[in-house]
Amino acid sequence: MQQATDSMVQTLLDYLKQPLSALQEWLAPLLPGDEWAAYLAFALYVLIIVGGGLGAILSRNLIRAMLGLVMTFLGVAGMYLLLASPFLAFMQLLIYVGAVCVLIFFAVMLTHNTDGGEESRLPSVASVAYGLLALLAPLAVFGPFIVMYAGRVPVATPEVEGTDKLGAGLLSSYVLPFELISIILLVAMAGAVYLAFRGYNPKSDGLNQ
Amino acid sequence: MTTLTYFLLASLLLLAMGLAGLITRRTLVGMLISVELMLNGAGLSIVAAYKSIAAADGVLGQLAALFVMGLAAAEATLVLAMILVVQRRFGKVTSQDISILR
Repeated sequence: MQQATDSMVQTLLDYLKQPLSALQEWLAPLLPGDEWAAYLAFALYVLIIVGGGLGAILSRNLIRAMLGLVMTFLGVAGMYLLLASPFLAFMQLLIYVGAVCVLIFFAVMLTHNTDGGEESRLPSVASVAYGLLALLAPLAVFGPFIVMYAGRVPVATPEVEGTDKLGAGLLSSYVLPFELISIILLVAMAGAVYLAFRGYNPKSDGLNQ
Repeated sequence: MTTLTYFLLASLLLLAMGLAGLITRRTLVGMLISVELMLNGAGLSIVAAYKSIAAADGVLGQLAALFVMGLAAAEATLVLAMILVVQRRFGKVTSQDISILR
């Protein structure tokens, strides 16, 4: 009885593995080398980035645009993982998704710019034309350079550096930029508080003087 | 075409989409979203270059990307404060209506 169950489970597992290995065999000639999983992940992340980015710039609802932005952040975090920088991927989620998106959400909320706001009207034809130009200009200017020259640099497979190396770098060679960014963050915070509270009237709702 | 090319093309896409959004958006909040897209592209290109190129120091690239993230956070904070001020002063945050300095 026990043996029969085992063999049944084994058959089921083999059956489940079949489509995966078939997919692998089918994809293998299309992909260079045996790094096909990395290329597959890269394609997936590019899809996430482009889909999220298009949502972020085209959506007529700013909350949906922000959700597209979150999707793009997730795709870029995946790219950092592919580049063997797990700490950066973590920081991407923590800083961008955790902090910047909340700030943007507050900005949307405080300006009442959700559904029937300024962005809900369709843009004019001229604005769309300029947008297309702005979309194509960087691609036309930098694209050929990247395709021509980036392939000539000798590349190596990236390796994971521990956070201990990052910390050592921050406290030895790159201590000046580290201090500088602390000052910048402090000044930005003080400036933001000053700007937001200047002329603040506690009796009004804070938005209309 | 090496992996570096693919990563740089992905970051170029981010830059192009951010620039297009910056042009087409009417409100400051939408423009802030587009700027964040572009900054993400910048960070991605820095990390891709430093981690892929054989002769480059990967630690330096990661630290540079961390600085870009810090600057993006500072920028978002300041822009939120500016949006608040503009909303109080003009009643709306469309870039068309903010044309006087005083």
